[in-house]
Amino acid sequence: MNEAALAELSRVLYSPVTLLLYAAAAFLYLYALTTKVGRREDGPARGRRAELAGLVVASLGIGAHLAHEVTRGLAQGRLPLGNMFEFTSMMALVGVVVGLGYLQFVRKRPELNGFVLMAGTLVLASALLVYSDPGPLMPILDTWWRTFHVTVIVIAAGIFTAGFVFNSLQLMRDLAEQRVADARSRTTVGSTVGAAYIGDLRAGSDAEAGTETDAAASAETDAVGERVAPDAADAPDGDPDAQTADDEAAYRRALRGALSPWRLALGTFLGTSTVSWVFLATPTLEFATGVQRFLIVNLAMVAVALIARWFVPMLPAAATLDGLAYRTIALGFFAWTFGVIAGAMWAEQSWGRFWGWDPKETASFLTWIAYAAYLHARATRGTRGRGAAWIGILSFAVLMFTYYAVNLVFVGLHSYAGL
Amino acid sequence: MNPDVRRPRRGRGPSGPVGFVIDSVVMGWRWLVRMRTALILLAMLGLLTLIATVVPQEPNVPGTVEVWRSGDEGPGVLVSRGIDAIGGYDVYGSALFLALLLLLYLSLTACLIPRIRAWVRLVRHSRPPLTRAADRQQVVASFSTDLGPDEVHATARGLLTDTRWRVRDPDPAPDLEPAPGLEPAPGLEPAPDLEPAPGLDPAPDLEPAPDLEPAPDPDRSRAMSSGPPPQVAAEKGLWSREGGSLLFHLSFYVLLAAIVFGQLLGFDGQRAVVEGESFADTPVSYWTYGPGRWWTDDDHRGWVLHLDSFEVDWVRDPLAPGAGQPTTFVSDVTVTTADGEVRETTVEGNRPLTVDGLKIHQLDWGYAPFVEVWVDGELEHANFLTAQAADGGMFRAAVKVPSADPDVGLEVFFFPYAPDSDDGPVFTGVPWADDPLLLFRQYRGDLQIGRTQQTINELDTTELESVGGGLIRPGGEVVMDDGVVVRFVELRRWVGFQVSARPQIPWLLLASAMLLGGLHPALYAYRRRLWVVASRPEGDARTLVTVAGRAFQRPQAFEDEHRRVVDRLAAATGAATPAPSDDEVVPR
Ligand code: HEM
Repeated sequence: MNEAALAELSRVLYSPVTLLLYAAAAFLYLYALTTKVGRREDGPARGRRAELAGLVVASLGIGAHLAHEVTRGLAQGRLPLGNMFEFTSMMALVGVVVGLGYLQFVRKRPELNGFVLMAGTLVLASALLVYSDPGPLMPILDTWWRTFHVTVIVIAAGIFTAGFVFNSLQLMRDLAEQRVADARSRTTVGSTVGAAYIGDLRAGSDAEAGTETDAAASAETDAVGERVAPDAADAPDGDPDAQTADDEAAYRRALRGALSPWRLALGTFLGTSTVSWVFLATPTLEFATGVQRFLIVNLAMVAVALIARWFVPMLPAAATLDGLAYRTIALGFFAWTFGVIAGAMWAEQSWGRFWGWDPKETASFLTWIAYAAYLHARATRGTRGRGAAWIGILSFAVLMFTYYAVNLVFVGLHSYAGL
Repeated sequence: MNPDVRRPRRGRGPSGPVGFVIDSVVMGWRWLVRMRTALILLAMLGLLTLIATVVPQEPNVPGTVEVWRSGDEGPGVLVSRGIDAIGGYDVYGSALFLALLLLLYLSLTACLIPRIRAWVRLVRHSRPPLTRAADRQQVVASFSTDLGPDEVHATARGLLTDTRWRVRDPDPAPDLEPAPGLEPAPGLEPAPDLEPAPGLDPAPDLEPAPDLEPAPDPDRSRAMSSGPPPQVAAEKGLWSREGGSLLFHLSFYVLLAAIVFGQLLGFDGQRAVVEGESFADTPVSYWTYGPGRWWTDDDHRGWVLHLDSFEVDWVRDPLAPGAGQPTTFVSDVTVTTADGEVRETTVEGNRPLTVDGLKIHQLDWGYAPFVEVWVDGELEHANFLTAQAADGGMFRAAVKVPSADPDVGLEVFFFPYAPDSDDGPVFTGVPWADDPLLLFRQYRGDLQIGRTQQTINELDTTELESVGGGLIRPGGEVVMDDGVVVRFVELRRWVGFQVSARPQIPWLLLASAMLLGGLHPALYAYRRRLWVVASRPEGDARTLVTVAGRAFQRPQAFEDEHRRVVDRLAAATGAATPAPSDDEVVPR
């Protein structure tokens, strides 16, 4: 096969093949989630079947995605990590593989796979906005250190994407739980994350619910008297007091109703805008195209947020999501740190200085600080739970800003990555 | 973890102004120790870094900062003044940043000192506590075996020690009948005199029963029960998590020290060299010279670098993928070291050369047209220019002849590939020199050399008058109206080299190793305790073994580990492997 044919094949494998497979798998998993709460006799069986089908389709999607990366690499005779399209595509691949692998095999919570796949689909589609044909690399970029640095950074970004999914779900679920609890004016039931502090305040209570009680948290529980931390992964997902199916359904409706769709849509629109404005400011882009991309990205995010809202009652408890987000982000932080250090080594080798505060370096440092703040917030009592989730989401915005704004708008030494 | 910033207790120590100062210091320290403070400081560091990302930084792009200041580009003069007021054009050199850095390091120190002390005490003195109610721990599994309880305990002890658990030493002959009201039973002695430190619990010697009601008063329970049953208590991951976190935070000191060290002992110099020419490593031969405070002239060894040739190439086919991208940048050089050793080698973008301990990087390159300027029949200028790449595939340079009267200045625009057509030259914008053309504009007047800021490739035209201009091909010449003759003799290329000494690199590597080496256990190690309680009720033929445990972090990972321990112990004691059913392994 010649290079042109390989390039064409890799393009088709990417879109539509991988894109559709991911979207279909996301749909199957989300459908499976809906069967968990229904009261139909055959609900569980259908759910299991849908989940299995989702796994098969998702695996096919990952396979197609891998095949795309390989054929693209062959077509251009180098690793497909040289421009924004390739970075974004690889980020989606890592996010999906890590997210699914973790949920499916480590935490055994495949019902959340749908959200990871939805995010993967979105990232994959967003890469099409910056599509470029296969081509060679500038010699200054062609070094082992760069390959290493970029690979690690992209892996970290993919992991952070999965963390962002968990953080967003956690936040929605937490707000919903809290509001329903407030509405019922009860103090002890509510945010399952918040329950941790309420519990801590009452001496002798044992409501420690953090999944990943970290050193700080355990110090507190220990101080209260070496209490047992019940495994929050098995924290009750529904209303603990719900007695009947009708109660449960009412609780679910209350959870969903607790999040105003209008406010969620507006918030998502504004939040996404903190990053997507770069399309309006990209010098190489026509303004009309920029507006179009800005709207596409924002509206897609709003749509996904509204879909996620519908699923809020079927999500695991906020504390469980908190634990998932923490573990994912911790892994991403480790990889990011490693990647930034590798970047400094590359800079030393290529430019004779290991750190020069150019916009790219500054921004990757900013991302690092943001996620370090998340880890600290998670270890601090008052900010654990929702506070940390907000910082996590903000950190992801910073990551995206680093990635898009700096590549497209503020160019420095690293301006290689432009369109 | 987050102690309130209380006013220190009064009544002791001096009062009045001295007391006030002491109080303030103590309160400041308490504020610094709080994790919330670290979070706020980190957020402020993030904010400054955000500014440094979006605002051009003077040390990096002085030109852009200049046009922002003048209001020609960017957000306007007013905003620009505001940016200047907070040092926003040089964030990492600003007083604000230095102050923040100082606070961060103070806060880091304030929070590390107690953590380190607590950690050392923990590592030295901690003893896995006994449990009284193994069957009510977080994870519990049990099985029965024919071995006696003591044999099971011995087996468990060996097994756990082999897998690097810290096993509690057997207690001295148990005092079965503790005299009530007298000394507490062994294992129940009051917790060692440790104050709780952030992230560490004081490791009480008895794991209280994890019941769900408020714990009974310890004195009462002690009186009521006869003490914990015989058991093997073990602990793991005790110090690695916190130790990793400490190593991680300590790496910041190494990092800071390395950076300061590099500022003092390092050196950085740049110099452009034209093909066929050389330059020697002496302080005066650098065009930009940035020695550290402790760098001396003696540190230059005097080696000589000769640039034999410079090869550069591009994807020339306009239809090929990546058209116009460069594909090669290589300098062929001959180096004569201080010891007289001669070496022929190459310098490439990613392959710096090390000579006598100094690193030589190839940074940039450009075209070097040899230009002669004759004024009134005298040869006033005969040299290579170092034309620098500018927009549109053009290379810019300047000629300054202050010895003429009045001064002569030329603005030079070099086009590597500008073939002639019927309408004059076509500026293709292509960087390869297939049909070079030199275009210049001539000025007379005052060059103001040394009085205004100008680089060698820039002319300050404010005191100059334009005389006209011309186009020259290689080998050609142009005679101007005022009799000045400009000749383009030959074309070569120049390469910009950077020479640097960075003695801090090994220290930076050490800091990185500490950072990563500490981060991993800080995030992944987890503390867990395990108890093996074997007992044989009176008259029973078999021994009941309960393996209980609890993890302070990562309960899922611990469950798997617990299951493995149970399986191994069951195998070692000849019991049928307990089915790891949910009935037996009860995660709670
Ligand atoms: C200068 C930048 C800093 C960075 C990047 C940083 C980073 C981190 C990280 C990633 C962790 C998580 C480790 C874990 O989960 O065990 C952590 C934990 C911690 N940091 Fe920092 N830190 C910094 C400064 C500080 C300062 C100034 C303090 C002092 C107030 C501090 C206090 C702590 C404490 C007490 C923990 C333990 C939390 C826990 O046990 O989970 N850090 N730090």
